[in-house]
Amino acid sequence: MKKGLFSLAMVAILLLTACGGKTAGGNATNGSPVQITYMEWGDPAELDVWKAIVSDFEAANPNIQVNVDVSDWDSYWTKLKTLLAANTPPDVFAMDAPLYLDYQSRGVLLNLQPFIDKNPGMLDGLFPNTLTAYQTPDGYFGLPRDFQTIVVFYNKDMFDKAGVPYPQAGWTYDDLRATAKALTKDTNGDGKIDQFGYVIDPWDFEPGMSEIIWAYGGDLINADHTQTLIGEPNARTAFQFLHDMMFIDHSIPDPNTSSQYGGDLFLSGNAAMIAMGHWAVPSYSEAGFKWDVVEMPSGPAGQATSVNSAGFVVAKDSKNPDAAFAFIKFVLSTAGQTRLAEMGFACPVLKSVAESDAFLKQSTSIDHQIFIDSLAFAHMKPVFKGYDEWSSTIGDGLTPMWNGEAELNPTLDQIVTQADEVLANNK
Amino acid sequence: MEYGLRPLGREKFWFWVMLAPTLIGLTFGALGSILATLGLSLTNWDLLRPPTWAGLSNYLALFKNPAYFKALTNTFKFSAMYVPGVVIISLFVAVLMNRKIHGVSIFRTIYFLPAVTSAVATALVWNMIYGRDTGILNFILNRLGQPSVCWLCTKNALMSVVVVNIWGAIGEGMIIFLAGLTAIPREYYEAATIDGAGLFDQFFSIALPLVTPSIFFQTLMSTINAFQAYDYIYMMTRQGQGDSSVPVVVFSIYRNAWNFFNYGGASAQAIELAVLVILLMAFYFWLERRYVVYE
Repeated sequence: MKKGLFSLAMVAILLLTACGGKTAGGNATNGSPVQITYMEWGDPAELDVWKAIVSDFEAANPNIQVNVDVSDWDSYWTKLKTLLAANTPPDVFAMDAPLYLDYQSRGVLLNLQPFIDKNPGMLDGLFPNTLTAYQTPDGYFGLPRDFQTIVVFYNKDMFDKAGVPYPQAGWTYDDLRATAKALTKDTNGDGKIDQFGYVIDPWDFEPGMSEIIWAYGGDLINADHTQTLIGEPNARTAFQFLHDMMFIDHSIPDPNTSSQYGGDLFLSGNAAMIAMGHWAVPSYSEAGFKWDVVEMPSGPAGQATSVNSAGFVVAKDSKNPDAAFAFIKFVLSTAGQTRLAEMGFACPVLKSVAESDAFLKQSTSIDHQIFIDSLAFAHMKPVFKGYDEWSSTIGDGLTPMWNGEAELNPTLDQIVTQADEVLANNK
Repeated sequence: MEYGLRPLGREKFWFWVMLAPTLIGLTFGALGSILATLGLSLTNWDLLRPPTWAGLSNYLALFKNPAYFKALTNTFKFSAMYVPGVVIISLFVAVLMNRKIHGVSIFRTIYFLPAVTSAVATALVWNMIYGRDTGILNFILNRLGQPSVCWLCTKNALMSVVVVNIWGAIGEGMIIFLAGLTAIPREYYEAATIDGAGLFDQFFSIALPLVTPSIFFQTLMSTINAFQAYDYIYMMTRQGQGDSSVPVVVFSIYRNAWNFFNYGGASAQAIELAVLVILLMAFYFWLERRYVVYE
C-alpha cells in the first residue's frame, strides 16, 4: 500500500523540493536574447507548425527566443499543474476556454488588459464570439488562439452506395433522423448492425449533445452558473430524441457498441455521419473514402451549434511578460494566423485570415466556409469555475443511460441534483 | 527467523553505509510522502493556491460522496475475488510446473509472460476477446449456440477485469510458489511414498503446510496489488470523459487530484485506503501466527 500512497504523495514531495526553484529567465536589457517557453497540447505534427511560427517570430524579434513544448492532452494538464505549483510555469501556455476560469479564479494568470491597452485595435479583427469566453470584470487574462465550431461530417461514398441524397444546409433534426435511419445497416448479414447513421460523443456536450439541446430551445446551465438546466422540458425532449435514435432506430451506436470499433467510427468507415469539429480534418483527410461537411440541422427553436476556442494565457509569475505578450500578439497577427490556418486543425480567430485562401483553400478540399458561417448561430461552450468536475459529473451520470441500463428521466433528475452540488461546491 | 548474522565492530559502519541509499530513499521518498499526504489530507488544496486548513472536513466529506463509496465498494469486491483467485490458481500452476516434464521451462515462461508485457497492450488484446459483437469469446459462444454476453457492460465488467488481473498475476505467484515448493526436501515425499501416501495426500499433508509461508507472502502481496489495481481496469473500462465503468479507489484519487483540483480530498481518500489496508494486514499477521508453518 505504501506504494499506492506513494504515487500520489510524489506530487507533494515534488512540490516541497521544487518550491525553491525559479525559472532561469534571461534579462531583456543586456544583449543576450530573452528566453520564453510556450507550452501547449497537441499532436507531434503540430510541433512542426509551431516551430515554423516561432522561427517567423524570432526573425521579427531577434532578442526573443521561444522554446515550444507540446504534450498530449492528458499529460499536458498534469504537467501544467505541477509546473504552476512548483512556481516554474511556462511563460505562455495554451488554455481550453471552458477550463480558463478554473485557472484565472485561482490567480495564476497574468492580467493582459494593460498590454492590450498599449496595443489599441489589436482585438478589432477577431471574431467577437471567440473573445467572450476570456472576458472578466477585470479585463482579459487570456486571448483566443483559434476556434472550433461543430458541424456534421458525412461519408459521401456511403450515401452514394445507399442512394441517399447528401444532407443540405437548412435541414432539420427530423431529416437527420430519417437520413441516419436509412444509412443504418447490417452490411455483412450476420444479424448485427455494423454501419451506423450518426455518431455523437455521448459524454461531452460539445460534439452532438449541446447542439440539439439548444436547437430544441433548452440550455445546459443558467447564466450565473448556479443551476444545471439539462433536466428542463426542452432539454429532455432533445435527450429523448437522441435516446430514440439510439434505442429505437439503432442509428446512433451505444457506447458499448462503439468501443468495439476502437475510437472513431466515422474514420473507420462504420458511420455515415458524425458531429465533429475542425480538429478532425487532418486525420479524416487520410480516410479511404470521400466526405464533406454540412451545417448542424435545426430544431423547433432554430439552428444551433457550439463554439469553443483554444486560447493563450501568460503565467502570473512569468519573468518576461513583455516577451510573452509579443509572442501572443504575433500569433494573432496575419502572419501567425495564416500559419495556424495552414496547419488545418482549427479555424483562425482573425477574421481576415479565416476569410482568406489560407483557410478556405486548404489541401483538404471541403467547404471550410461552413465552419465560419456556423458562428452565426453558435452558442458558446460554457466557461466557468469547476467546469471539468461539472461536465464529468454529467458525463459519468449519463453513462448508465446510454448503456441502456437506466431510464432517461430518473437519470436526468439524479444528474441535475449531483451537478448542482458540484456547482455549489465550486462557488 | 531472528538468528541471522549480526554485524560486528567496523562492519557496523559499512553496514549502515551500504544501507544508506535505501534508507535515505525510504525516508525522503516514502515516509516523507506519507507524512505530506497525511498533512495535505487536512487541508483544502487546489495545487495553485496555498493550502488552507480544513480539519477533518475532507474525511467527513467522504461519507457523503456517492462516487467514492462506489469506488470503495468496487475495490473491496475486486480484492475479494482477485486475492483468492491469484493464490489458488498460481499455487495450482506452480504444483503442475514443479514436476519433471519436458519443456517445463517453456511453460513457465508462457505463464510468466503477462508479467513482463505492457498492461496497455494486453488490455487491448483482452478488449478484442471481450468485444460484444466482434469479440472472440462471443464468437465461440455463438458457435456453441449460446447468446452473446456483453462482457464489459456495467453488469459484468467487474468480473471480466478480475479475470484479466488474475491472468496477469499468475506468473509472479507461480514463481513465489515454485520457490517454496522446491525448498521442500525430497526425503519428505520419499518417506510419504513408502508410507503409502498418494499424490493427493502428499500435496495436502506435506506440500501445502510447508508452503504456507509462501501462501502468506503471496496473499499479502496480492492484497496490496488488489488495492492498487488500476492499469488493466482503466484500459478496459474507461469511457469518454475519463470515467470508468468500474471506478476503483486509486482511480478516484487520481481523478480528484488531477481533474477536480481537489488534492486535499484525494489525500484523504489515499489515507483512508491506507488505513483499511493496514487493518487488513494486521488481520493477516494474526492469521500468520496461527496457521503459518515455519520449519
